[in-house]
Amino acid sequence: MIPALAHISDAAPRKRSGPRSLARRTADAIGHAVAEVLENDELASSAGLMQSLDPRIKLVSVLVFSVVASFVHSLPMLLVLIVATMALAAASRVSVASFARKVWSSAGFFGLLLSAPAATAWITPGEILVSLGPLSITAPGLVIATRLIARVAVGAGFGLLVVWTTRWTDLLRALSAMGVSDLVVATLAMTQKQIMSLLRTVENMHLARESRMLSGGTARDNRGWVIERMAFVARRSMKTADDVYDAMLSRGFSGAMPSLVDLHATTRDLAWVIASVAACVLALGVDRMVFPV
Amino acid sequence: MTAEFVLTDVCHTYGTGLDALDHIALTVEAGQHVAIVGANGSGKSTLLKMLDGLVFCNAGTITAFGHPLTEETLEEPAFRREFRSRVGFVFQDADVQLFCNTAFDELAFGPLQLGLGPDEVRARVAEVAGALRIEKLLDRAPYTLSGGEKKRVAIASVLTMRPQVLLMDEPTNALDPRSQVWLLDVLDQWKRAGRTVVIATHDLSAAAESCDRMIVLSEEHAVVADGAPEDVLAQRDLLLSVNLIHEHAHRHGADRHVHPHAHEHEHV
Amino acid sequence: MHIPDGYLGPQTYAALDVAIIPIWVIASTRIKKTLKAKQVPLMALAAAFSFVIMMFNVPVVGGSTGHAVGAVLIAILLGPWAACISVSIALVVQALVFGDGGITAIGANCVNMAIIMPFVGYYVYRLVAGDRPGHGRRITAAGIAAYVGIVTAAIAAGVEFGLQPLLAHTASGQALYSPYPLSVAVPAMAFEHLLFFGPVEAVVTMGIVAVLARQDSALLRMKPAAKPLRWLWAAFACLVLLTPIGTLAQGTAWGEWGAQQIKATLGYIPAGLEKAGGLWTSAMPDYAPSFIANPLVGYLVAAVLGSALVIGVTWAVGRLLARNNDDSAPTVPPTDAA
Repeated sequence: MIPALAHISDAAPRKRSGPRSLARRTADAIGHAVAEVLENDELASSAGLMQSLDPRIKLVSVLVFSVVASFVHSLPMLLVLIVATMALAAASRVSVASFARKVWSSAGFFGLLLSAPAATAWITPGEILVSLGPLSITAPGLVIATRLIARVAVGAGFGLLVVWTTRWTDLLRALSAMGVSDLVVATLAMTQKQIMSLLRTVENMHLARESRMLSGGTARDNRGWVIERMAFVARRSMKTADDVYDAMLSRGFSGAMPSLVDLHATTRDLAWVIASVAACVLALGVDRMVFPV
Repeated sequence: MTAEFVLTDVCHTYGTGLDALDHIALTVEAGQHVAIVGANGSGKSTLLKMLDGLVFCNAGTITAFGHPLTEETLEEPAFRREFRSRVGFVFQDADVQLFCNTAFDELAFGPLQLGLGPDEVRARVAEVAGALRIEKLLDRAPYTLSGGEKKRVAIASVLTMRPQVLLMDEPTNALDPRSQVWLLDVLDQWKRAGRTVVIATHDLSAAAESCDRMIVLSEEHAVVADGAPEDVLAQRDLLLSVNLIHEHAHRHGADRHVHPHAHEHEHV
Repeated sequence: MHIPDGYLGPQTYAALDVAIIPIWVIASTRIKKTLKAKQVPLMALAAAFSFVIMMFNVPVVGGSTGHAVGAVLIAILLGPWAACISVSIALVVQALVFGDGGITAIGANCVNMAIIMPFVGYYVYRLVAGDRPGHGRRITAAGIAAYVGIVTAAIAAGVEFGLQPLLAHTASGQALYSPYPLSVAVPAMAFEHLLFFGPVEAVVTMGIVAVLARQDSALLRMKPAAKPLRWLWAAFACLVLLTPIGTLAQGTAWGEWGAQQIKATLGYIPAGLEKAGGLWTSAMPDYAPSFIANPLVGYLVAAVLGSALVIGVTWAVGRLLARNNDDSAPTVPPTDAA
């Protein structure tokens, strides 16, 4: 059940006529982020391939996939890996379209911007494919740029698979079961909670400003307001830390944070591990032998 | 019957010289349901926190269950464990109180801190979750819960420690009407079970309904009334003078009607 | 400055992922000693604050906006070790919950934004602010510290990018990861931060410190009294004394070739270089004051004089700016919201 607060701003930004003010843009971005996190929680609780895995095994396998992917060098294999991430997404009841869209917007777009200069003769000299005035795109440059974009897409894809199929609560349980210190896990849990709370506050601040301002305001005024609000968040954070500490003391806190964690791996997890190892070996083998670079 | 709390001549000032409490003297007996009422800033939250050993007075003494309650005495592990398990505090803002990974962890935190074994902890969590009907919420992260659900989890997280005394700071604040009714039911159950309850509130109607003793704090941070709710609420002039109620006047032709009333919510 | 996955090769990201772990361990031990039981809520809130600060859009000019990291601000408020932990936690949450930022690159991002930035910023702040700084001096110090901190971190990121073509390439020399060499990556990152993100970070940090100092000066004295920086000066003095070791190295530092060396290597001197070479006559060419015969002593003297000059200029600029900003308004004692 998504609490009412998530509807403060729509998950899909409203179509507006004319440019949005700075306050509005920030509020929308924050509202979007908050809504996504809450939706992730629901998505990660549904029945799908990756959701069904023991979170420890899932975390470790995705890490291994990312590492193995970084050793794959040939463009064809990198493209195969991109398809593999999408296949895993589909098997986990994630809409491939929204998966692809998120990978593009979070990493692909900037990957394109950053790799574009690498395609030009200025960075990668070589056989010129096409000339656009002073800039010319070379064949080796195009390969390098595409490889970089593909790599970035694979990395973002694996990352997203973890984020969208694992509830934060389970991720923390996994970390705890894998030996991460209880204090660290407790701090991570508290941080996430406080982030959500602070984000809602900051979103409301921006919406309130939007509703009170007749015109956009000068950059200087807006900057002054933003800085003052950041200082407010700083003070509020410190005060909240005191309050939370009081609440912890009140329930007997004396420095340690023991917790009960109950994770059990199943035969399905074993099958997954075997299949993953095979897939990694295959990917690397094909990459090195069929498409040496 | 030993008193739960005895406060003698308690004073408290913040570092800057602002008074928070002025020569407070009162005794809370076991089984009483006490409402501490006062306008915002009268010091009721501070008083409540003092009863929970979160704030310590500059002058005067407090004893809890016959044992002095000071920063030093709370450092003794034995007394700390006993005090913390016997006194539970429900904060005004449930968000402050929910700091664990899942609701289950919230309920388990207290018993685990008390040193109970995993089986005992799980049993207590199941018992309290069942009583407050929050079993389905146990696996959820607190930040995904609604306001009413958070309050239930917050109260549950205190109840797993099986406290004798419950301190509640503005319990009806920010609760929707249905949850408010539920809360008053819970308070009623506790009265019948013999638990001691002290609530700090400016909500006079909730206080009158659930409590058998009302203490009024003035804006000068001193106790100005202490007795049965009906008697205290009858002293209209007193309540006006401490800013707990105010009067509206309006005309009907040549007549002027004056209505004293309190607001559900504080004037911001 | 967040580095996503895919730009750094395994040697780099693995090295940084491994390197960060002992630093985290040391940082947690340090804050456990100073913050004790309160470390959990304080670090969580500081991390949440760090995360949220990065979400603010800061107006720059016209309609453009930038973002601040806030690592130096946290270092000023809570100390560099606490800043290391809280910024690291914010980065981890960003990557694992919000899908923002790479997972294998967490080590690199933490090294840049949770170690280099807050530590460099913190010590610059302490040097410029001195003991018991006045209102204006503190704000100036915060601004300079934030600027230097973020530019240093950006250069580090540029180095991490720029090393990739050297570390991993195909048989034909093509880069397998980020294809930009040091000569492109470092200046690009440096300029972007010197000209844009640096000033944004400085203005934001100064602004927040100014507001906090006005409203709640207790916040600025939250961390335990800092130990004197004598050890830093001692370390600096040692470095100065060790500079003559440089004379043992053969050849010339990369990029610092003079016209004669270029002629020897290439066979000719590029016209532009020849013209530019004569423009400036240094007071101490080749770090050797003309009146000192022994080259080692000369090197040492140059090092001492050069350092004194840099420190002197920095201090003078600091005093000048502090005088302009000086406020004689008394700081208001904190009010507790009852």
